[in-house]
Amino acid sequence: MTAKETPPAVRMEGITKRFGDVVANDDVDFTLEKGSIHALLGENGSGKTTLMSVLYGLYEKNAGTVHIDGEPKTFESPRDAMDAGVGMIHQHFQLVETMTVLQNIILGHEPSDNGFVDTATARWDIEDICSRYDFHVDEFLDTKIRDLDLGARQRVEIVKSLYRGADILILDEPTAVLTPQEISDLLDLMGELADAGHSLIFITHKLGEALGAADEITVLRDGAAIGTVDAAETSETELARMMVGREIQFDRPPRESPEGDAVLDVEQLHARGSRGLEQVSGVDLTVQEGEILGVAGVQGNGQTELVEALTGLRDVESGSVRLNGEEITDTNRRQRIDAGIAYIPEDRTTEGLVQDYTLVRNALLGNQTVDPFVDNGLIDWETVHDHAGDIIREYDVQPPNERSEAKSLSGGNQQKFIVGREIEHDPDVMIASHPTRGVDIGSIEFIHDRLLELREAGMAILVVSSKLDEIRKLSDRIVVMYEGEFAGAVDPVETTEEELGMLMAGHDAGTDDGDSEPSGGVHS
Amino acid sequence: MLRASVVERLAIATASTALALLIGVTIVAAAGYDPVQFLVSLINGAVGGESAIARTLRFSTLFILTGVAVAVAFRAGVFNIGVQGQFVVGGIATVMSIIWTAPLLPEGTVGGAGLILIGFVAGTFAGGVYGALPGALKAYADANVIITTIMLNFIATGVVGWLVQNPFRGEGNAAPNTERIPEYVSFPSVVFDSSGFSVIGLAIALATVAVIYVVMERSRFGYDMVTSGYQESAATYSGVSAKRTVVLTMTLSGMVAGIAGAVFAVMIQGYYTDPSGIGTYGFDAIAVSLLAANNPLGIVPAGLLFGGLESAGSHIGIYTDVPVQLIDGVIGLVILFVAVPELFRMAAVRTGLGGDR
Amino acid sequence: MSFAEYAKRNSLGIAGIAVLVAGAAIAAVAMDLPFWEIVTIGFVERSLQAATPIALTAIGGLYAEKSGVFNIGVEGFMIFGAATAATMMWIISGGSPGQSDVWLAILASVLVSLVFAVLFAVLLIRYEADQIVAGLALWFIGLGFGPFMAVLVWESRNSPSLESINDLTVPVLADIPVLGPIFFDTSPLVMVTAVLAVAAWKFLNDTKYGYWIQAAGENPEALDTAGIDVTRVRYAAVIFSGVMAGLGGAVLLAQAGSFTGTGETMVGGRGWIGIVAYLFGNYNPIGAAVAALVFGGLDMLQIQLQTVGINVPNRLVNLFPYAGVILVLTVWGSTQTPSAVGEPYESEE
Repeated sequence: MTAKETPPAVRMEGITKRFGDVVANDDVDFTLEKGSIHALLGENGSGKTTLMSVLYGLYEKNAGTVHIDGEPKTFESPRDAMDAGVGMIHQHFQLVETMTVLQNIILGHEPSDNGFVDTATARWDIEDICSRYDFHVDEFLDTKIRDLDLGARQRVEIVKSLYRGADILILDEPTAVLTPQEISDLLDLMGELADAGHSLIFITHKLGEALGAADEITVLRDGAAIGTVDAAETSETELARMMVGREIQFDRPPRESPEGDAVLDVEQLHARGSRGLEQVSGVDLTVQEGEILGVAGVQGNGQTELVEALTGLRDVESGSVRLNGEEITDTNRRQRIDAGIAYIPEDRTTEGLVQDYTLVRNALLGNQTVDPFVDNGLIDWETVHDHAGDIIREYDVQPPNERSEAKSLSGGNQQKFIVGREIEHDPDVMIASHPTRGVDIGSIEFIHDRLLELREAGMAILVVSSKLDEIRKLSDRIVVMYEGEFAGAVDPVETTEEELGMLMAGHDAGTDDGDSEPSGGVHS
Repeated sequence: MLRASVVERLAIATASTALALLIGVTIVAAAGYDPVQFLVSLINGAVGGESAIARTLRFSTLFILTGVAVAVAFRAGVFNIGVQGQFVVGGIATVMSIIWTAPLLPEGTVGGAGLILIGFVAGTFAGGVYGALPGALKAYADANVIITTIMLNFIATGVVGWLVQNPFRGEGNAAPNTERIPEYVSFPSVVFDSSGFSVIGLAIALATVAVIYVVMERSRFGYDMVTSGYQESAATYSGVSAKRTVVLTMTLSGMVAGIAGAVFAVMIQGYYTDPSGIGTYGFDAIAVSLLAANNPLGIVPAGLLFGGLESAGSHIGIYTDVPVQLIDGVIGLVILFVAVPELFRMAAVRTGLGGDR
Repeated sequence: MSFAEYAKRNSLGIAGIAVLVAGAAIAAVAMDLPFWEIVTIGFVERSLQAATPIALTAIGGLYAEKSGVFNIGVEGFMIFGAATAATMMWIISGGSPGQSDVWLAILASVLVSLVFAVLFAVLLIRYEADQIVAGLALWFIGLGFGPFMAVLVWESRNSPSLESINDLTVPVLADIPVLGPIFFDTSPLVMVTAVLAVAAWKFLNDTKYGYWIQAAGENPEALDTAGIDVTRVRYAAVIFSGVMAGLGGAVLLAQAGSFTGTGETMVGGRGWIGIVAYLFGNYNPIGAAVAALVFGGLDMLQIQLQTVGINVPNRLVNLFPYAGVILVLTVWGSTQTPSAVGEPYESEE
């Protein structure tokens, strides 16, 4: 790179950002060259979005400097960032659903004609932008956002940034909600934008996309920058190692009895997502006594809906769910709790705990029908209090105080409390969705040990996770979920990251995937 | 935390009332009346003597009951603005059921007690049904509860107003009123020799507070309800059906409002009249509940405060030349300030009195 | 939004009104009612006058709600508007008001409403007041202090007869048959309101400020990230709603010619009907004005029916708007309400 002639589009040095005691970014350096695509790769919670929010003026940094085009800058608000030509496309689109595409694009930057919005000029400008790239937004400028699919909304967001004069574009997990075709279109488009001189930062946790689309890749882990590599000279394996931190050790004792009785038995399960689209399309699975079945996959491939359909939080469209041979397909959430399905939810802050409740009150959550705690509809708070105390002690919840409010606990301690509560519920099957997401290392180990112990004790356990190391460490069998279906089943010891990665990307293991890899238009 | 918030609530209640009164007194003075005399009659009207206290307690009884009705719903995150309507519907149901069944029962104390029971059951039931309606509309048609309950208030007032003018009007009544309920259908005064107030009414209110407190704090249903109010997704996770909870919450809230209506009908009015003229207990109750942070126990002091203000208003209207409308306005100001706790929090931070934010 | 699209989106509301009109027509034919004795030019004129204060209030309330703040205090603002207009008219004219005093009173009332609206907006937005309770409080404050002002000035809750606004006859246009007398030989306030309704509609849909108001109520974050201060937009909308409701009250007084402060005061729920009107009109200023006209017409129809000897239960007929709103909400659900209504917005520090 010819950094001396042209200053880099963005240079961030020594960026540190703390939230209370948690260090979200620890002395991070990051450089984006002009006209290039730079992927910011890392697990959820590794600090990618925080770093970019600092750049975009959403967060105030605790230390470090930011240079844009060689000039030192301090952005106090997104407005400042935008004025300096930095645009950010958030994971949650910043679009007004009831307004049209045109209105959304020009919002806040409306051309005016005698006091009225000059839609003719706006239309002309937008069509001009669209014609320079392969955009297809101009055809539905008068359509309301709520009538657009997610891929189109994303393009509207990008056009909006370009319309506002952004040279540097930050895309935060832009592919998370898109279909494979939309992803491939988006990556093409990003290539075109870079060719036209824009500089792009591409936040992602998907190895393949980073490799396919970016020129350079910076890996973040636990808030620190692990390193920056040239996309042409690296491999998925190297990136995976950088992301995860170590070669994963598989020193588990071999399984005693892999063949137990089927506890949870699911056939041809179909379920729809919140938007009414089918997200689970014919899943078959069996979880046996004394085993952990791991469901791997990239977020948004139907795992959430699958788990909700199993736990009774989502209606089943068709198919059957049986627990110990008994049909429970049409039962509601409470009936399934009573039938013995325990659930460590994906989102502990909104689902697993009532944030304003004490741990005592939280200990009752999901246990409202359990006999010693509630009798004849009346709660015995003393018993619940003791139960909370037991969970706190046995699951090492800090601080050990039943009266603390859930929101005052760290993520790891919140999660340990939930795990304890669900295990102590004495279920027949345990469904754990991303059981260690955003949790500190110590708590991860603790939770993993508890789940493995539980398996030894003969429990049937289903673990859903997008962390490959977690899935491989815990599972006796692994299935990969892709677009609402199980793409393949592999053995956790024999499989490789590459094989899993390919299954997660929708390729059957072993088939040639060269031509269907998303092409970024930058690297071949 | 809870203690701090109780202290804070008390401070906000005191500050709201003080600020509202200060504005009231300023207006009194500016309008050329004697502010000192105004304040003295205010206190006299609330607690000066037995009849004033009885009157205060009479209003407080209603504020406590309607306040609890609001608190039940607000605690569960359901914005029932329709307590006024449920109160009215409960009241007319009480009066009419007593009038209709009176000929079937013997006269005297026993018959009276029986009729009161019938009246209360009818009032509670009618209030519950009238509350369940917007609950069901929310659960099954996603109709905004705030708007439907406001509308149902007007409908209750209008329909009952028409009923007492036409089919339910007592024979030979010049005014649009129902017949009176029989003399013997009334609460014995016991302590105060005052028409329109009986300790039994207050006891019913306090018992209702106790029952609701137990339901909210100790029953599974209450836990489900309150959890829905705090964090609906967590409630759903724990097996609570959001739809069912909305309907049940609104039913319970309406039932308490119905009890308030029954107390009003039996203890105070003795007949039913055009509801547009009976006072806005169901609306004031929102402020009462808010002042008490929607805690059933906190409703008692908050209800007493509002009862005192209302009572002082009646007194001032009768015994001073300050227009009674002023006190209505001052009560409105109290409600306004109660709605803005942030105002006092910020003021406290500014003046260094406390409140860390 | 084109009219065709509006009609499509509001097929239910329009169908409802059509059914109502058709039902009335069928009833009229079936019962052999003297239709033209009921629906007279005078009736239409009076309906328009009755609709005016409601429409003004509705347009204001609609703006506030569109921006994300539910101003249910409009009834209170109307009472203040009417009471200040009455007292101002009396004070300005020294007790014998004329036509110019009516206009001055309206102006003064608008200015006073502006002051109150600013204070109210500060409580709602800066201090994040509970919008429902604060709005109800304002109603009570109006019910108290409105008549209190009358008592201070006249020692009675009701004013003596003041001056009411004269009709304005537009030359030539007034001679057009039917339409002339309805639109061009009527209270100038009716004409002003009609113009305001169209202007408010145009402003909301075709100016950048209109865009901002819609975005503030629907997705304040999107507006914020576009660099527009959400708080300022909401202030403007809430203050506008207070002023419009105050104007509505003043106009009501200017039409009535005297202040009534007994019972629920002369405003008597018109502010609430204003809220109902914009819900019916699906947050469209013109739709709200049309709904206001329907409600005004309904009110006047009872008087018309009485003149031909038919007594209808006023109390029940007056409930139509309220029951209608519940029906509409039940069938429509709450999807038309701006998503962010009632949520205070705090930008990231």
